[in-house]
Amino acid sequence: MKFVTTKVPQSGLRSKIMAEVSCFLTKMAILTIMTPGVSMERNKRVYTILLLLTALWCCGILLAPALQASHSMGASVVYSAYAPICHQIDGRCFHLFGAKWGVCIRCSAIYFSFFLSLLMYPFFRRLSFPSYPGRRWIALAVVPMIIDVLLNFTGIYPSTPMTRLMTGALFGSVLPLFILPPLLEGIAQLRSQFSARGGFLYARKAQ
Amino acid sequence: MLEKPNKLRIALICGVAIGTVSAVPGISLINCCCCAGVWLGGVLAMYLYKQQLTEGMPPLESSDALMLGLMSGIIGAFTATVINVVILAIFGPVEQGLMRSIVGKLLDRLVEQGGLQTDMAESMKEQIEQSIRDSGKLSNIFGSLFMTLILYPIFSILGALLGFAIFRPKNPPPTTMVQ
Repeated sequence: MKFVTTKVPQSGLRSKIMAEVSCFLTKMAILTIMTPGVSMERNKRVYTILLLLTALWCCGILLAPALQASHSMGASVVYSAYAPICHQIDGRCFHLFGAKWGVCIRCSAIYFSFFLSLLMYPFFRRLSFPSYPGRRWIALAVVPMIIDVLLNFTGIYPSTPMTRLMTGALFGSVLPLFILPPLLEGIAQLRSQFSARGGFLYARKAQ
Repeated sequence: MLEKPNKLRIALICGVAIGTVSAVPGISLINCCCCAGVWLGGVLAMYLYKQQLTEGMPPLESSDALMLGLMSGIIGAFTATVINVVILAIFGPVEQGLMRSIVGKLLDRLVEQGGLQTDMAESMKEQIEQSIRDSGKLSNIFGSLFMTLILYPIFSILGALLGFAIFRPKNPPPTTMVQ
């Protein structure tokens, strides 16, 4: 029995494979974007990563005094990591084991309430279809904090730990409602753009 | 359909703004409030980008906010480091003296008005004195660049996302919605 084989030129074969790969990648990209289940999974993944990073950030704030109390060298590293974003004045910080937290009361309130609000997010809003609250909410959340800072700065009314805590917590708790939806959408869009571009490049190379 | 405007130009403008706000003595105190200068840089990037969009162009998308925030933050981190080094090289002791004088007066004023307690002001002065002493070290410059390269893009992206939530189009096209 004789087998007849057709010889495909090497360059032709390569371009054929490239075209197939690009076609497959494009199909996968379209499927990833359009299939609700896949998209839902991706949104959950992004949400989980953000939640973990925020938890890590908040843990770092508490880690600084814990390390300081145990006279560890790492304390100065953790404190200096938070230094570019907060004044860290001793009198304006919460204390743990006799040492100040990594950031001041206002910043702590913002970060911890951000974390808690992010944690509660799936109970009140759908991750699968991100929606935005009205713009007035962000104004309502920011204005008290700005007023508190300005009144203190001008000396009209000195801010207290309670006002710093309350205004910071208000701002931090509203923030995830505005940040998470565009983050989920944006990552999906970037993913689709890069996938489409990758497929397009493969197709061009194949030609 | 027309193409979207170039993001790099806007990112450069906002990155330089972030860097300047973060590096110029006195103004840089704004970053003591949760990196507010960097947040505002991200919001500004979204505002400027929205102004560049004309009819016939695709609408503002959240991916634009992510990219603009990231680019502005990185450029801002480098700009802040460069400005810091330049200020240190040109003004050096003069700038340090000026910084001491400005901050000292500001803190004294706050103490007089009752906005700050005396021991707190002293502790702040000590911290600033320490940072002034350490600012010239090469390891400190690279350490600060490393930290800002992590922190500024994060806060700038957050600012840009917040900016997108504020300036977003009212009726986005269905293609941009996540299912």
